[in-house]
Amino acid sequence: MNKIVCITFVVLCFSNNTKAQTIQIVKFYTLKQSVYNNSDTVYVVNFFASWCKPCIQEIPEFLTFDKGIKNSKIKLVFVSVDLKKDQEKLLQIVQKYSLQNVFLLDETNANNWINKIDKHWSGTIPATLIIKKGKHKKFIADAISSETLYNLTK
Amino acid sequence: MKYIKSLSIILIVLSIISTNSFAQKTNKNIVDFKLKNTDGSFVSLSDYPNAKGFIIIFTCNHCPFAKLYPPRLNNLNNKYKPLGVPLIAISSTDTLMYEEDTYSNMVIKANDEHFNFPYLFDEIQEVAKNFKAQKTPHAFVIWKENNQWVVKYNGAIDNNGMEPEKVTESYVANAVHELLANKPVKTSETKSIGCQIAFRRK
Repeated sequence: MNKIVCITFVVLCFSNNTKAQTIQIVKFYTLKQSVYNNSDTVYVVNFFASWCKPCIQEIPEFLTFDKGIKNSKIKLVFVSVDLKKDQEKLLQIVQKYSLQNVFLLDETNANNWINKIDKHWSGTIPATLIIKKGKHKKFIADAISSETLYNLTK
Repeated sequence: MKYIKSLSIILIVLSIISTNSFAQKTNKNIVDFKLKNTDGSFVSLSDYPNAKGFIIIFTCNHCPFAKLYPPRLNNLNNKYKPLGVPLIAISSTDTLMYEEDTYSNMVIKANDEHFNFPYLFDEIQEVAKNFKAQKTPHAFVIWKENNQWVVKYNGAIDNNGMEPEKVTESYVANAVHELLANKPVKTSETKSIGCQIAFRRK
C-alpha cells in the first residue's frame, strides 16, 4: 500500500514538473485576443512551421532567451502556420524542443489576417511579433537572435 | 525658413526611402529571362510572340503549400493558354538548403504531376529577384503594355489552399479575366503564407 502511495506521489510530482506539450488549434480571432490584452505582460510571438528550416534553426535562440527571462513578465508564444493535416509533424517539433504555448492557426485564407499582424508583412516565415501592453511594439519578418530578443523586450 | 527647407528635404528623402523599401510589386516592369525547362529546353517570354500576358508561378517541390496546387496549375494553363495567357512555373529555391528542389527532382516532379506547362529552374535566383518573388507559391500575372511586361497582380493563387472545392476567390483567374476585358485589376495584391525563397548571400 505504501508503495502505491509512494509511486502515485512520484508520478504526481513528475507530472507537475513537466508541463504537457500540447498544441492549441485556434482561429486568428482567438489568438489575437490572447496576446493583445491590457496586462503588463510582454508577448513575444514567433510565427513558424514544421517545414520551415530557418524557423527550426532559430528555435534554440528562443529557448536561450526564455531561460534568461524566467520569472519576469515576458511570455513566449509559438504560432504555427502548418496545415492542420500536418499536426503530427508539428507535434514532433514541439516535443523535441519542449515548446510551451504553441498555437496552430486554423485559417484557410491568410490574406484575411496577415495585414492584421503587420501591413508590411508578405507572409514569409520566420517572423516575430513583440507586443507590449496590448500594443504592437516591433515586428521582424526574419530570423532573430536571443540578444535582439533581450533588447527588444527590455 | 532655412529650417523648413531642410526639413522638407529630409521628408522627401525619407519618403523616397520608404517607398523603395516597401515598393509595390505591381506595375513593375519585368525583364525577359532564359531558363532551363524540365525537358532540357530553354524557355523565354519571347518564345511566345502571341502572348497577351503570362501567369508566372514561383513554386518548388518541397513546400507543403506548393504541393497543394499542381492540379490547379494544370487547370489554369488549360483554360488560359488558348486565350493567349500561358502559365509558366519557376523554381528559385536554394537547392543547398532543400535537396528536394534540385533540377533532377524537378524533372521527376513535372513527370509525376503531369505538368502541362514549363517548370523552369532559376538556379542563380535572378528571375525571382527581378519579380521580387518572396515565397512559394507566389503568383504573378504580367501583361504586355507598349512592348513591356508589366506586373498586374501578385500574391496568392486563390483564397483556399487546403480545400480547392471551397475556393470563393480565384485571384489569378479574376485578374486574367479583367485584363482580357481591358479592365483594371480590382485586387492587384494579396498576402499568403508560403515557404520563403531564401536568397543566397554572395
